[in-house]
Amino acid sequence: MLFRLQTLLLNLMFYALFFIVVVLLVPVLLLIGLAKAPFLSHRKNMESLRILIRVYGRSMVFLGWPFIRVRVEKEAGDPPKACICVSNHRATSDGFLMGMLDCEGVQVVNLWPFKVPVLGFFARLAGYLSIREISIEEFLRCGSELIEQGVSIISFPEGTRAGSRKMGPFHSALFRLALQTGAPIVPICISGSENKPRKGSAVMHPGLIRMHLLAPITEESYRDMSPFKLKNFVRDRIAAELERMEKGE
Amino acid sequence: MQREKIVKLVNEVFLEDFEMEPAQLVPDAHLFTELGLDSLDVVDLVVALQKKFNVSIRDDERIREIRTLDDLYGLIEAIGTELESE
Repeated sequence: MLFRLQTLLLNLMFYALFFIVVVLLVPVLLLIGLAKAPFLSHRKNMESLRILIRVYGRSMVFLGWPFIRVRVEKEAGDPPKACICVSNHRATSDGFLMGMLDCEGVQVVNLWPFKVPVLGFFARLAGYLSIREISIEEFLRCGSELIEQGVSIISFPEGTRAGSRKMGPFHSALFRLALQTGAPIVPICISGSENKPRKGSAVMHPGLIRMHLLAPITEESYRDMSPFKLKNFVRDRIAAELERMEKGE
Repeated sequence: MQREKIVKLVNEVFLEDFEMEPAQLVPDAHLFTELGLDSLDVVDLVVALQKKFNVSIRDDERIREIRTLDDLYGLIEAIGTELESE
């Protein structure tokens, strides 16, 4: 009964605040970006835009408080500059959780985020990579350029939301990029997001989301691996940590 | 080439190039859902198989229909038979 009441309150509050944020915060962020634009280089403008998207993502994460709490645990501090962040993917909220990362990042996304009004427009403007719309060669070229500029690549290599605690197989494109650039790989384990909201539903459920950033995997430790071996190595590391995090729940 | 020999050589590719465990390589194993390959890995697989068997399968349309290891053994066997009859 209490849980149902909390769920009701959470959803009323979350979606009301979501509406306010989209109507008020987004235009404010846009104005800030536009005001600064003429005085900055293209590179600085892109950086500024990505920071504003991070602010937006982070604000979304806190809309559910106190019913939804987010705990970020870092095994080795913040991600290094120009790294490849690899996370498991259970729910829509995972994309917003990436706003908790203290780095300039570009997400590798499937088609649907580009179709979301407002968000899709800014994602495209910020150079987010739509993996379904470009060839692997184009992906590797764009990804390498971003890493050279000091931008991190953030991705969910399962390719789609798992919708449960069972992690799907990984796609290898991201790991080919790592092998090509030598960028450190930061595995990210997200636990507790699977019902925020559940796949196919818009209902948010109260609870704790834990986001655990593992220590970066450096080029020295993976350069001799094949893309197939590397993707499974990272997947196994995330799976083992998730099992540890969820033991006894 | 005998089926047994084909199975051995194909499995060698999975063991050497993909570092899989022998226990994973059962005929019914699904390449994508059970062995964890994706479309890019399949390109690597095709290259490795071409090298192993010295045949060209890259442009063979039948490769798109491969789902399990057994399908793959069957394709290599069929290509071998076709080459022998030419």
